[in-house]
Amino acid sequence: MRILMVGLNHRTADVAAREALAFDDAGVAGLLSQLRERFPMSEGVVLSTCNRTELYIARPVHAAPSAEEVRSLLAERGGLAPEVLASTTLLREQEQAALHLFHVCAGLDSMVLGEPQVQGQVRKAYELAQSHGLVGPVLHRLFRGALAAGKEARNRTGIDAGRTSVSSVAVAFARNIFDHFTDKKVAVIGAGEMIKGAAHALLREDPQALWIVNRSPGRARQLAQSVSPDGARPVAMRSWDDLDTVLVEADIVVSCTGANEPVVSADRFRPLLKRRRNRPLFLVDMAVPRDIDPAIGGLSNVYLYNLDDLQQAVGVTTDERHAQREQCEAILHERCARCMGEIRHRDLGKLVQQLRARLNDIADQEQQRTQRKLAAQGVVNERHDAVIREHNHRLINKILHLPLSQLDRNDPNAPVGFYAAALRRLFDLDDEPTVPGEGEGSEAGSDRQDAS
Amino acid sequence: MTDTATSIPLILMTALSAAAATLAVRRLRAARPQEQRPNTSPTQHLLVGLIAVGCITLLLLRWLLLWESWEPLHAHVDGLLLMCASFAGAVLYIQTRPKLRGLAAFALPLLTLMLAWAICASLWTYRPFRLDTLEPAWLVFHTTSTYLGLLCCALGAIGGAMYLYVQGRLKSKHAVPGRLASLETLETLIIRAATLGFVLLTLSLVSGVVLVTRGEGTALGIEWWVSPKVILATLAWAVYALLMNIRHASAFRGRRAAWLAIFGLVLLLATYGIVGAMDKQTGTIDTASSLKRASDTDRGGD
Repeated sequence: MRILMVGLNHRTADVAAREALAFDDAGVAGLLSQLRERFPMSEGVVLSTCNRTELYIARPVHAAPSAEEVRSLLAERGGLAPEVLASTTLLREQEQAALHLFHVCAGLDSMVLGEPQVQGQVRKAYELAQSHGLVGPVLHRLFRGALAAGKEARNRTGIDAGRTSVSSVAVAFARNIFDHFTDKKVAVIGAGEMIKGAAHALLREDPQALWIVNRSPGRARQLAQSVSPDGARPVAMRSWDDLDTVLVEADIVVSCTGANEPVVSADRFRPLLKRRRNRPLFLVDMAVPRDIDPAIGGLSNVYLYNLDDLQQAVGVTTDERHAQREQCEAILHERCARCMGEIRHRDLGKLVQQLRARLNDIADQEQQRTQRKLAAQGVVNERHDAVIREHNHRLINKILHLPLSQLDRNDPNAPVGFYAAALRRLFDLDDEPTVPGEGEGSEAGSDRQDAS
Repeated sequence: MTDTATSIPLILMTALSAAAATLAVRRLRAARPQEQRPNTSPTQHLLVGLIAVGCITLLLLRWLLLWESWEPLHAHVDGLLLMCASFAGAVLYIQTRPKLRGLAAFALPLLTLMLAWAICASLWTYRPFRLDTLEPAWLVFHTTSTYLGLLCCALGAIGGAMYLYVQGRLKSKHAVPGRLASLETLETLIIRAATLGFVLLTLSLVSGVVLVTRGEGTALGIEWWVSPKVILATLAWAVYALLMNIRHASAFRGRRAAWLAIFGLVLLLATYGIVGAMDKQTGTIDTASSLKRASDTDRGGD
């Protein structure tokens, strides 16, 4: 099986490009369905977060899709020309693709090093693909291994300790504008995971009030209960229709909704400035596509930051954590190699089975021919049949002994993949067709708890 | 002799101030975003402390050496020494306040310029005040409030300069080096400095008017109220009146307030420039000369 990763992230593409390929749950589901229809032999997981849209594919060696086909599919879904994507997409294969996923899970590829939220996002993407029947044995092992390794790397190195979430970086940035938060009113727009993290980070600063503004009052209520279960924190819900008033009264606004159009447009915000009496306003737009019109950032006394801006701001913090990163990478390399070994082991097991089956077929055919010839000469009997079968068995074992010993699974330097591909080609063996949801695929479901 | 005794320590203190400024600026430039290390070093503290002590000592020495009367300020250089000593004290305070991180890097270059100005005032543009007047109390009141008012305005201006720097970094989405004073703190500093500066400038203006009217306004001309010095001083006073109410006059908040604080200082320096130009014509400081004329008139009257 070949593992392929095609996608773009905050390192390869700017916000505008990421916006075009940012899929909500329905969009991811649509893409998964399309993958299943077009490439039924393949496994696939779509990871779409604010910072990245990546497709992880596991397919038989000579089967579709190719990287170009995946890129075309993405371009089609995003309404972009494939050549536009060519310069911004990232392509990784086999070990590199696996290692990339391990890095993503551990937060090493995140905008903020060690960010914990991405772990949950990867798990959600894996579970969504699983519910669409697109997770087979390869991606199951890969994602399970990556999630476990990410958790282990965080626990052992403490890379996620301190200011490692986008929300906490945003709070640190707000300190350049405001001296203290006790007399500041904070508003969060949306009620998702990112907003939950932001609300927690902001409440730690003890603001005068925290308002939750969301289209769905039910989700806003859930979030309010989640961030202030005992009601001791100054958390209140504001209706969506009240958004203009909130924008006038608040000092800090953090937005992350799933809206496809800006929630706060420049035309909407400009008249509010006068009502604000030019008080400074710190706006953090964590959404992709963006919730807040970038033109608002140009207005006086308004400081608008999106995810890219925060990334720029935390660049040096990332450098400071170089040592922790190295530790993390060592753990991830080891875990990734082990995981790929398991996948390869399973591949080789299947290959040996196929090879033996092929040789047995040939042997059976030849045995039948021999038996027919001996029967024509009148010398065959049941004892002869057993001898011929044993002879074939020994012959097959002796033929297979040397090639199989070359596929030494314990030698990391052995070109196992090359040997396996050569054997498949020489003996005309099909690559294993994946039947997601069956066989080992069902194992994925039972192991889901382990991954979490 | 006195000029040399004044100038040499002043040159030394200017060099110390330049060294402290270099240290502060280098420290600021080397700081990483959000870094929470102290905004100053012990060496910087020591240098600024030496400057403060040096300025006060020099001011007292000059007062004793040039003893003419009880008034401590004999010349423009004494006023500048008073300002530098107070400013160095303010910088020492700033350096100990975590909320004002980074402000010393903006204040110390200005202190260096003030000391350099004091060297000029000592060596090349020495201007003694005329102390043989009938109104020495008003003169002392006027000069002291003027120099201290200028000091407050200078503090407001460095707050404004730093505000523009931090705001520029934030607007251009560049990380702010170290953890500098927040925009909110800087705005508060500008307002407080402007408020104190406004009070002192008001006292300075009132005492100036008293001095001028006692001298029948001859130094500034017959129509002294429309003289450039009075117009500029009043304009600067108005700027600070606006600045101290900036949170109510919201149209001037933020960047505009910072520019106003700088503009106010420039106006005050321009007023001082005009004082110097007028002194070249009259030979002494205007108010003193006008008072001298007033006293002559009084004696003549007797």
